[in-house]
Amino acid sequence: MNIEKAVKKLQEVLNLDRSSTKLMPMNETEITISKQQILLAVKTILNSKIWHLSAITCQQIEDGFTLLYHFWKSGGLTLRIRLDENKPQIESICSLIPGAEYYEREAREMFGIEFHGMPNPIPLLLPDNWQGGYPMRKKELPSNEEHNSKTSQKKGKSL
Amino acid sequence: MSRITVPIGPQHPLLKEPLSFLVSLEGEKVMDSTLRLGYVHRGIEKLAEQRTYIQNVYLIERICGICSHIHSTTYCQSVEALLKLEVPKRGLYIRMLLCELERIHSHLLWLGVLAKNIGLNTLFMYAWRDREIVLNIMEEISGGRVSHAVNIIGGVRVDLNDKHLSLLQEGLRELTIRVEEILRAIESDRSFRARTRKIGYLSLEDIKRYCVVGPVARASGLDIDIRRDAPYAAYNELSFEVPLMTEGDVWARSILRILETIQAIRLCTQIIHNLPDGPVSVSAPRKVPSGEVVSRAEAPRGEVFYYLRSDGSQKPARLKVRTPTLTTLITLPGQLKNMQLADVSAVIAGVDLCIACGDR
Repeated sequence: MNIEKAVKKLQEVLNLDRSSTKLMPMNETEITISKQQILLAVKTILNSKIWHLSAITCQQIEDGFTLLYHFWKSGGLTLRIRLDENKPQIESICSLIPGAEYYEREAREMFGIEFHGMPNPIPLLLPDNWQGGYPMRKKELPSNEEHNSKTSQKKGKSL
Repeated sequence: MSRITVPIGPQHPLLKEPLSFLVSLEGEKVMDSTLRLGYVHRGIEKLAEQRTYIQNVYLIERICGICSHIHSTTYCQSVEALLKLEVPKRGLYIRMLLCELERIHSHLLWLGVLAKNIGLNTLFMYAWRDREIVLNIMEEISGGRVSHAVNIIGGVRVDLNDKHLSLLQEGLRELTIRVEEILRAIESDRSFRARTRKIGYLSLEDIKRYCVVGPVARASGLDIDIRRDAPYAAYNELSFEVPLMTEGDVWARSILRILETIQAIRLCTQIIHNLPDGPVSVSAPRKVPSGEVVSRAEAPRGEVFYYLRSDGSQKPARLKVRTPTLTTLITLPGQLKNMQLADVSAVIAGVDLCIACGDR
């Protein structure tokens, strides 16, 4: 099984203990890693001949944001990354998987996650003159209220 | 040579749904193109968080007007996994039957769109005439031509009776003859070949880099099909082939989709011959225990992906949908590069876009 091999390899390369790995329903394995490890983890997965990234799910859970990178090869492999609530940011993986561009752009405009090194940081689904902040967030962050009002003012002028 | 920029869309006769292309030309040659999505973005992921699990079945069906059934199948599948519900065999078989009928209707619809875009109006009319057979069968079974509302959490809401079965047998027999005729026609037709061969080429390498799925990936030689590789419903009990081609152009995608249609007809025949007896659904509780689940299914355009997180209430805490169109859209600027402007229509039709799916 490709997935099992990749999981072992990931645990070895990233120095993870067994508690980081969980089984999800429907043949899916989940590994929790830190955000600094993302590029190394994706490289390891690509080296294990798993190239298909199904999606990147972003969500806001009470104590911060969670990013899930869902890989697939006859079985699922999900990387779980916790992001800091005040400054949600992470390295972009588009340099390794160009197909991740749309997933990252969507997470960026819907949740306000900053992906460093993203090739095309423009809106994907929302209108160019959108002023409603980040629509998929469950609650607004205190540090971002200021930022949002600033950007909407700027956009308001150009309209 | 000076460049001119031609806008295609958001409203354009080439496109059946709104999408905006800006094609930059030098003479007749496409040098560069950018695309913009979002004209039919309805915020369905956000809406789903405000509705109960049962209401969501009907919301999810409205993501797409062509492959509505596969969306509700994948969604119900993920809720059932969280509830640890076992759907009765007969329910699963009816689900699969609708999935395959939908594949036939989607592929024939697509063939019509492609034929129209490249100026083969006869083929367009034949394809859409034959598509009516499937639509009539689906209307008889579910009451709807494209939105079926057949799935419920825990099974399906309709059962097949003798009238349905005889209608299916008769319809499928006729479809086999018609689709094989279409296959013969497009394999041998010179003008079809001239308009589609070596157009919109994607290499196997690109397919892997851009994580492309479905018929577009299989036409470039990537052997991937969720029904076979990670069987859901009861696909492991059926036997079928996954057609594969290596040319990677619009022509290969066309032949491959017709071969898939023939396989789908065979699958339907197998399903009605092996239809188990028993109930079609089990009752499901309204509250879903907390947990997370990832569910995948093979839509007519490839892998459709659902992620669902429940917090133990009556409404989902997060529902993520990734549709196959999103993966093919990202490859379009690359496919259009160095093409003639007249071939843009064939390339856009060839990948079988479903913009409503992509925008959600």
